[in-house]
Amino acid sequence: MPEIKVTPLGAGQDVGRSCILVSIGGKNIMLDCGMHMGYNDDRRFPDFSYVTQNGRLTDFLDCVIISHFHLDHCGALPYMSEMVGYDGPIYMTHPTKAICPILLEDFRKITVDKKGETNFFTSQMIKDCMKKVVPLNLHQTVQVDDELEIKAYYAGHVLGAAMVHIKVGSESVVYTGDYNMTPDRHLGAAWIDKCRPDILISESTYATTIRDSKRCRERDFLKKVHESIERGGKVLIPVFALGRAQELCILLETFWERMNLKAPIYFSTGLTEKANHYYKLFITWTNQKIRKTFVQRNMFEFKHIKAFDRSYADNPGPMVVFATPGMLHAGQSLQIFKKWAGNEKNMVIMPGYCVQGTIGHKILNGQRKLEMEGRATLDVKLQVEYMSFSAHADAKGIMQLIRMAEPRNMLLVHGEAAKMEFLKGKIEQEFSIDCYMPANGETVAVKTNPSVPVDMSVNLLKREMALGGPLPDPKRPRSMHGTLIMKESSLKLVSSEQALKELALNEHQLRFTCRVALQDPHSDSETLHRIYTHLKSLLKGYTIQHLPDGTVMVESIVIKVSSSAEDANAKILLLSWSYQDEDLGSFLSSVLKK
Amino acid sequence: MDEECVSLLPRVCDVLAASGSSLPDDTSLEKLLDWFSAVTKSGVSLLEVSPCLLGFISSVVSSRASESSIISFALKLIGLVAAAEDGFRALQETSVLDLAFDPQHWREEGLWEDPCIRIGWIHGFSTMLQHRQAFSFFVRADSIKPLLQLQTDTSLFVASAASQMLTQVLMFCHPLSSGFNETEVDNKSSSSSITGLKCPNATESDHESAAVVTEILEFLKRRMLPKEPSQLHQSQQILKLLASILSQAGPSLQNKLLLTVGESLEELVASNYSQLTRPLMDVILAGYSSVGGDVKVPDPILSRLLSVMLNQREPPDLIHAAAAFLCSGHDNRIHMEQSAGILLLPVDIITSLTLLEGNFTVKEHQLSMMEQLKNKTSCVSMICISLKYIPKITLMAPDCRPCPPASVVGAVLSLLRLCSGLSPPSVAGCVTVFRNVTGSGKVQKCALEALSALSSSPEVKVMLVEVFTLLIEYLNHPDSDPTVLQKSYQALLKWIGVCSNLSSITNQLKQDLTQVVRKRVCDMRWEVRDSTVEFLGHLAGLPACSTEDGGVCDISQYVLGGCCFTTPLLMEALHDPESYVRASAISALAQAMRNSWRQGAVPTKEQAEIVTQLLEILSQDTEGFARRAVLQFFITWFSSYPSCTSSPLLMQSVRSVLLQGCADLDWEVKVHTLDLAELLMDQAFLGQHGYTKGLESHPAQPHPYAVTAKQAYTLHTHSGTHTLSSDLDGLVKQGLLSVLLSGLFDCDRPVGLKACRLLIRLKDALLLRPQDTTDAGKTDPGLNCELLSQGWAHEIRNVLGMEDRTSGTDAHTVTINVCDLVKCLDLEERLDVLTRSSDHFYNSPRSLLQDILTAGSAHAQQDSQLKEEVIVDCY
Repeated sequence: MPEIKVTPLGAGQDVGRSCILVSIGGKNIMLDCGMHMGYNDDRRFPDFSYVTQNGRLTDFLDCVIISHFHLDHCGALPYMSEMVGYDGPIYMTHPTKAICPILLEDFRKITVDKKGETNFFTSQMIKDCMKKVVPLNLHQTVQVDDELEIKAYYAGHVLGAAMVHIKVGSESVVYTGDYNMTPDRHLGAAWIDKCRPDILISESTYATTIRDSKRCRERDFLKKVHESIERGGKVLIPVFALGRAQELCILLETFWERMNLKAPIYFSTGLTEKANHYYKLFITWTNQKIRKTFVQRNMFEFKHIKAFDRSYADNPGPMVVFATPGMLHAGQSLQIFKKWAGNEKNMVIMPGYCVQGTIGHKILNGQRKLEMEGRATLDVKLQVEYMSFSAHADAKGIMQLIRMAEPRNMLLVHGEAAKMEFLKGKIEQEFSIDCYMPANGETVAVKTNPSVPVDMSVNLLKREMALGGPLPDPKRPRSMHGTLIMKESSLKLVSSEQALKELALNEHQLRFTCRVALQDPHSDSETLHRIYTHLKSLLKGYTIQHLPDGTVMVESIVIKVSSSAEDANAKILLLSWSYQDEDLGSFLSSVLKK
Repeated sequence: MDEECVSLLPRVCDVLAASGSSLPDDTSLEKLLDWFSAVTKSGVSLLEVSPCLLGFISSVVSSRASESSIISFALKLIGLVAAAEDGFRALQETSVLDLAFDPQHWREEGLWEDPCIRIGWIHGFSTMLQHRQAFSFFVRADSIKPLLQLQTDTSLFVASAASQMLTQVLMFCHPLSSGFNETEVDNKSSSSSITGLKCPNATESDHESAAVVTEILEFLKRRMLPKEPSQLHQSQQILKLLASILSQAGPSLQNKLLLTVGESLEELVASNYSQLTRPLMDVILAGYSSVGGDVKVPDPILSRLLSVMLNQREPPDLIHAAAAFLCSGHDNRIHMEQSAGILLLPVDIITSLTLLEGNFTVKEHQLSMMEQLKNKTSCVSMICISLKYIPKITLMAPDCRPCPPASVVGAVLSLLRLCSGLSPPSVAGCVTVFRNVTGSGKVQKCALEALSALSSSPEVKVMLVEVFTLLIEYLNHPDSDPTVLQKSYQALLKWIGVCSNLSSITNQLKQDLTQVVRKRVCDMRWEVRDSTVEFLGHLAGLPACSTEDGGVCDISQYVLGGCCFTTPLLMEALHDPESYVRASAISALAQAMRNSWRQGAVPTKEQAEIVTQLLEILSQDTEGFARRAVLQFFITWFSSYPSCTSSPLLMQSVRSVLLQGCADLDWEVKVHTLDLAELLMDQAFLGQHGYTKGLESHPAQPHPYAVTAKQAYTLHTHSGTHTLSSDLDGLVKQGLLSVLLSGLFDCDRPVGLKACRLLIRLKDALLLRPQDTTDAGKTDPGLNCELLSQGWAHEIRNVLGMEDRTSGTDAHTVTINVCDLVKCLDLEERLDVLTRSSDHFYNSPRSLLQDILTAGSAHAQQDSQLKEEVIVDCY
């Protein structure tokens, strides 16, 4: 029986770097190719030698699909394609293709800046990698080859995020990537067809959480910023160039407008300009409200948010600054932090997760004394806040998606094992489907029962109708007999006569024979008659004939009697039947043996 | 291990042992192990420095509440500790070893199911197996059985780790030095196999080794043959292990191995399982590779297996086997010829070109191959493998290769024509096969790559015109996808590059190429425009070629008509909406103009226009790529031009570039600006007393960043009678000092580092100059600079403590002597700080330990206060 195999190389019972291998209908697909920011060596990338060795990635993989631009989903892509070597197609949506290189470049610069790493992908590699990318449109079926097709669906989460439906023949898998089932300030909610995939591979970051409304968190954020500004403090918001930064910019811009606030808001990097350009360009990917208001006023053209110059950090008075990178581990955000950390009126708001080995991680854990260059110590007096604005589906959202897609099996990735376990139980209980949660390196094989479409000959259908059967109804499957012909990669069910004709073959009759020895003092014809009478009484409803040529026929089964030359009492019964009456023939031979 | 770390460890151990749930950062444990490994490698005993580890290990292993990730960590740590004999003894005394490495114990705890425990078990054991005592423990615990089971584990990671460990165990029992004589082997193994081996009872340990070897070999033999197709995966695993052992084993073990499993291997080869072709070839080739030393000829079993693999398999398997053999580069003429023939067969069939005339052994497979080629998937796959290895065939010795390299090029060209529908299929071929390759992007890409590689094959230059014609047709093809076009350009460049004589390229062909380039540079897709612009740049960078009249000519000039064709196209591309294309255009312009710069030609009006546009890009382009390329343009210009100061346009623009470059938002632009500043300094000061060039002053660290210039620049320095002061005055006017000083206080470390190095060189030059050449000690008006009260100047004023002195008077601008300034900046200490990346303490062991401690207390706090949990979500 065919099966679909799923092996996570990353995101199996963890939220590190997503990289999931799927084998379906003889095709091998890699879903996402993320990196782990917490490592400073090759461990940050998935180990592709487990996929295949000696750089045979292009031979092995039919395609790579990237769900969205976050680095834990696409950060290893240039490494894989340009350094390990993969030359096949890479699929992602148009916005992802536009934004992904910005983030990869941003990340490359931070890595090289911070540690002076040379064994790392270059700008040229990012470009060469992006040249291999085939952009996807939503709801458009793309034929990767003759058998493999993919279709993207809106996933919310971040601009351009997509879920993908992968189909080979009648087998299919849906991969959600990261998704969000509730619309937010600039993006809509995820949506998918009732496509009934064999497996739905879903993220499960918030598998056990029912998230409070994002509005609450937004209100909280604005309140904190406002309070700090009111008391004359400065607010630092370390962000990555794209994604959350835009969301928070819209939030502050609207708030400043409404409250008529005068304190300046700065954005520290030139990358925003391009980022905002893409948000404008891909306005159709944002939510309805933004699309509607776009006609009157472009949400991404900010009146209050200005470009930052490093000398502004010393300006007196309150201000809000968005600065990169987001984990306070190098560059502008770290420099500003150092300047402002000593004043308790100031505040730093971390809107995302920080890996170990960064200042962000340290201050979020509550460290108030930080070691600095030149044996100096920095006293962290400013207020430290963490606010998660990440747009993932919570437990309710995941269940909602299952109801939408109606999968036959469920597979959880991108989450913590304990939380997955809880959700798995809930899913299995509520939907009565199997739910898997493989660890990294473990393979889940799901048997599928693909329906194979077969063309039916009209003659065969007519014959069936003539026998008085009901009209064909797709909702009421029933069995039909015929001859299956495979010709030029299509299947056809025809009557055996038609099959013989089409294949230009002669008909051969296949008959089974059997000898039964018994002792009977009567003559051969009497013995035969006795058998005839016996069978007549035994088999009601069957056509049984005693023919003049000295044979008995039960349907197609012929019975003859002959005596042995040496012993007239020793009779041999000869039975012969066609394959259609195999059951009856076997039954008769056993009856006669008794 | 520094003292603070030692003092932190006990508390860290407490936190780890007590944490019911895993740490908030899943990398912490691995980083901790990295550190422990480094400490052990440096020869320090972990238990001696930190006895608390013993208690930690015991409590984790025996506690029922331990997290699996912590147990896995503890198992690996046990391995590290027990790798030293004293550590091993200490652990054994506490009986923690028996408990930790007993799979049954973990099964009873219900934890063996978790792959991270199994991985911990294998890694721990594997690290520990450094001495005979550990090995005896391994044998007595009968751990070989679970290890063999793990070799076919459901987790890829576990199975692979188990395989590696099994190889390690075998190598332990059968070290490389052992010979054929078993007694001799045993004697040696007991004395020399493992470092520090001291075996109290040699015979006993020999028996242990022999028993383990036998058990492993028997296991291999038993499990190699699949009883049903569902066991194929297991056979694959066994073959992988076998290949790994064979590649490391000495002759004695190899011999033993092949004797044991030879029959099974032969049976497996005969069984024709397609999935096993690659692993089987890996086994055979691993056996072949290890032939050496006293053994000259591979084992007859291996030769037999190889013959079968190359003769009696189904076509797709034959292709894989042939490719593997050809790739291995073994010097076996018969098999080489056979492999080459098999690899050429699909192309031979499709193109109907007689590449394999007279090769009857290979032709035997023609019919079956033809049948396979009718299936689209296997057709594309076989052709692609064939194409990948075809260039290797042309490099074989002439008497070995099945046909001349030019015929191979001809066949690849025919295939490319068929793929794109440029030529009708030949009458002799099969329609279904043609249909399978027509329009296949995969085949096109592979064929174009093969064509590129074939450019360096011998005797192929006669095909240049044909190649040129086809590639132009490809570039013109309306349906070509961007990658195919990119590969066509790359192939074209390769062929042009290797042919020193391009006289066979007709004018018509050149015209066709210019037309197609003109068309593609305006393509809808940025990928295509970029590849075209890159092509123009690379072409301009190629060395000169000879022409039909015997002269020498610039290739770009010869093929495309040179700058008068290229430059306008590239100038147009400077306005491209895609930044990648703009950056490529700038780089290509630099390549295109380099020759005229080298010759010292006076800049034309067109060049002046380009400079204006580039300065505009530098000041206004929103993308770093383009701005970085502008800097590279000026660096190339400056370093190529024989006399920079004689070109007012160059010197003027350099001033603007420095001014804008140092204020850029992209730190890489700033580093490039400093590169340009360095060239200026070199030009001005080289030859002056006390001045050293960059590489001379920092030979160990030329440039640690990825943005290093692609080529080394050689400067044309002046040998005039200028003094250092007058040169410096000129540089200050050029804005050099502002660039260096602003760089010094930049928030991005590479910028600060580069600026600091340059300032140190400047300082050395100023301080070491001979007293008689200047009015040293007196205030030289040319050596002054002004500091504003904003930005970097403000920082400098802070460092110099000038705020107080100037307050009240003219606080906006302060004039300071350059010499005094560079002396006061404490550049050496700054350099020291900047050279060590911030990682030296944020990613140091001490920082890690502190992070674990604070995470532990934060975790405890969260439990009590229900603070918002920091959830790993995405980045």
